Amino acid sequence: MAAIFELQDISFSYEAIPAIRGLTLKIEAGNRIALLGANGSGKSTLLRILDALYFPASGSVKFKGDALTQERLQEEEFFLNFRRSVALVFQNPDVQLFNPTVFDEVAYGPLQLQWSREEVILRVEETLQTMSISHLRDRSPYRLSGGEKKRVALASVLVLDPEVLLLDEPTATLDPKSQSQVIDLIQHWKGTARTVVTATHQLEIVEDIADRVLVLEAGAVIAEGTPSEILSNTDLLLRANLIHAHRHSHGGVEHSHPHLHGHSRHEHEHDHEH
Amino acid sequence: MAQPLQRCGDGLFPSAALAAEIWNRLAFEPANPVEIDQIMHIPDGYLSPSTCATFYVVAASGWYAALKRIKRLLATRAIPLISVFAAFCFVVMMFNVPLPGGTTGHAVGVGISAIVLGPWGSILAISIALAIQALFFGDGGITTLGANCFNMAMVGSFTAYAVYRLVAANSDLKSRQRVLAAAIAGYVAINASALVTAVELGIQPRLFHDSSGTPLYAPYPLHVAIPAMMIGHLTFAGLAEAVIAAGMVSYLQRADLGLLSGVSGGSGFAATPPPASATTTAGASAEPSPGRLWWIVACLMLFTPLGILAAGTAWGEWSSSAFMNPHARDQIAATSGNHAPPSSVPAGIQRLSNIWTAPFPGYAPSFIRNQMFGYLLSAIFGVGFLALLALVARAIGRKWSTGNLRL
Amino acid sequence: MSRNATRNSSRNTSRNSFLESTLQGFARAVSKALQSEQAATQPGLLQQLDPRVRVLGILALVVSVILCRRPEAIAAIFLVAVALAVASRVSLTSLARRVWLVVLGFSGVIAVPALFLTPGQPLFTAPALHLSISVQGVRTAVLLVLRVETAATLTTVLVLSTAWTHILKALRSLHLPAEIVTMLAMTHRYVFLLIETANQMFESRQSRTVGILSGAERRRMTTRTAGVLLSKSIELSQGVYLAMLSRGFRGDVRLLNDFRLQPRDYVSLTAFFLTACVAVWMGR
Repeated sequence: MAAIFELQDISFSYEAIPAIRGLTLKIEAGNRIALLGANGSGKSTLLRILDALYFPASGSVKFKGDALTQERLQEEEFFLNFRRSVALVFQNPDVQLFNPTVFDEVAYGPLQLQWSREEVILRVEETLQTMSISHLRDRSPYRLSGGEKKRVALASVLVLDPEVLLLDEPTATLDPKSQSQVIDLIQHWKGTARTVVTATHQLEIVEDIADRVLVLEAGAVIAEGTPSEILSNTDLLLRANLIHAHRHSHGGVEHSHPHLHGHSRHEHEHDHEH
Repeated sequence: MAQPLQRCGDGLFPSAALAAEIWNRLAFEPANPVEIDQIMHIPDGYLSPSTCATFYVVAASGWYAALKRIKRLLATRAIPLISVFAAFCFVVMMFNVPLPGGTTGHAVGVGISAIVLGPWGSILAISIALAIQALFFGDGGITTLGANCFNMAMVGSFTAYAVYRLVAANSDLKSRQRVLAAAIAGYVAINASALVTAVELGIQPRLFHDSSGTPLYAPYPLHVAIPAMMIGHLTFAGLAEAVIAAGMVSYLQRADLGLLSGVSGGSGFAATPPPASATTTAGASAEPSPGRLWWIVACLMLFTPLGILAAGTAWGEWSSSAFMNPHARDQIAATSGNHAPPSSVPAGIQRLSNIWTAPFPGYAPSFIRNQMFGYLLSAIFGVGFLALLALVARAIGRKWSTGNLRL
Repeated sequence: MSRNATRNSSRNTSRNSFLESTLQGFARAVSKALQSEQAATQPGLLQQLDPRVRVLGILALVVSVILCRRPEAIAAIFLVAVALAVASRVSLTSLARRVWLVVLGFSGVIAVPALFLTPGQPLFTAPALHLSISVQGVRTAVLLVLRVETAATLTTVLVLSTAWTHILKALRSLHLPAEIVTMLAMTHRYVFLLIETANQMFESRQSRTVGILSGAERRRMTTRTAGVLLSKSIELSQGVYLAMLSRGFRGDVRLLNDFRLQPRDYVSLTAFFLTACVAVWMGR
């Protein structure tokens, strides 16, 4: 059975600035992948290439064995199937919520993919219920809180019941409670989507959302492994600018060792006494 | 008892000045909650139904043409770009722009819009912003939306674009000539819009009045409406637009040069590669070239003799000699509700009519007898004069940007 | 209202009050939008009608306002408008504040010189000033103010009783092109985001400003904010574009049309048109 995605030596640049260089990657159905990297490492670009929003200047991208090119997407059937099967949740929800109301937003995808009126309404109501946002259906996006916007953004893609879910920094800018909600949702969502690719720089959520980690730096994959392998490799994490080391103090002792800040489900290990 | 017209005639010029002053004050004292220079947004009730309908037809054809062009140029990218830009213009309209002299004014954003989006995109963006103001915030009328869009979005965009291209010419994108071009373009565009607005308002009393002579809609004739509107815009609104347009171009020169080359050449718009199904015409230019623009102007000039069709003389625009000429007196009476003009020339007119003698009084130099030819000639002179001004401005701009001009 | 505040702030050069009035303007726009959203959910007369009927009906009345030639007929329509407002739970005080006083302050003042300038039969003369008010002047001033007030009242009542999205859908089913409707919707949606962005930028600049700025500095602050807003807008539009593509956009706009006409809609529509025609005929 063909891999869901197969990228072979792809390169992509924004005008003169290279964003992805010689990247090769295979994603099987059912993978839960985390793309780890600092800002500018190419994670977002890679997700957009996977979603056929950008097309690489060299190399090839295959979706279920079919070449993913602009020409191929001109074909109606392929287009409808692809757009339904692969969904991208953008980092900035304001970019994704461009419709006047929440209901319209969730209905947008199905409408564009030419579902019938009854199907659209049925599915939208269902999804609103599942995401617990039915009470927001007539609300305008500018009156939503950050967490609500994220749930609407998720709803707007989950309504299509995609096979592949691409998430760009899903928990960035969210308060801790909303972060937990999003992570729970990703973990427990029981749709047909089995493949999840999450781009993030937040190490603390990686173990919950992925069983395979790729570390990106300057547009190339510099490491691959299981979460525990990667997360324990502090040199790697330092090199990829995912953690930092600076002088700090706790327990009355001032010292410096690699760590990260912010809400954390783990404490960092110490090998010295206080 | 003195004739009524004489009584009004005595006070004609001071009263006009009073009207201009009041109107002028209101121009930068917007009272509506959204803080927009309301003077150019004509509310419902100022224009007659036929005027509204006419301008809706004109505006609709403009929108249709603009939509077609923008779809051809931008394909699927059009909707998000124009919409967000319209939102941007809407917000910029709310800025209080500090002006030299200490007061503030409001810009429309037509200058920067025409430069970045081109004239057609600008028509759509500004029209949408105006529509939202009218339909959602209730500023500006809905029957007059067509006219408002024509004045600000269409006349404004084309004027801004033409003047910008003319003055900026082929200068370097980062040059100061471009900044100057933007300032002049914004200024001229706003004043052109104000002029068209004033004309629309000014022709109402003569064309739409009841049998007793009461104007039914906007009550001020051309010779009051035009100065009243132009004063506020030549001084404040025009400057605000100039400041914004120049400031934005200057900012783009530092921060985002791609946007400055505009929609057709813009690398700023190609940062995200074209979509799967778009027929992108990356190299095609949909804006009319300067050559085409001159053709349009030439055609417009040919239409100026239509002014002859307005029978008789413009109300109020009489010279002192008109009061002595029996034929002219009949005309005056006919257009003034059959009130006979005073037997002698009103003192005010007598005093003031000799101060300024336009080079082409009656629009026709004395040696040209044929009226139509006279109109045409005046139009040619008028346009030629303006073109000369533009060329001079461009030359000055060039000298300034190369540092050869000492001011 | 805040008119005096505006007058003072736009002339006040000793403080950086141009920022304040801009910020106040933003706040007012947002509160106006919220007010509209709330009013549209009230259980009033207009709210019960199909939005298309509301739009067409009010439009018919506005057109009749500008077709009428006599102030009495226009005044009658004004009363109809007030009645509609009351029946639709639109507060008369907010109407007065938002519309009537504003229009008086603007068109009312504009109409004043017309009293003196319009030629015709003198009504009242002040010989010392060489000024006289003519009958025609009074009539034209009254006509103008009445028209503007009535039309503005009608449109405000429509806007306050109808959610923006419903207005757009009504326009769509009245055959306005889908692209235009989509652009109107999207612009409206992002206006508030950009207002918030501009608000934050101005506020942060305001808090960092010590002392009084010169004119040039103030201009630079304004144009820089506008410039950053422009960059962000373009960036936003590029993101929106990708988001649209990602969910299947290919150029055609598809909308959900879910209005159904009921008997009371037909009745109301007829009522609207009848009123308009009667007014025009009586005011000819």
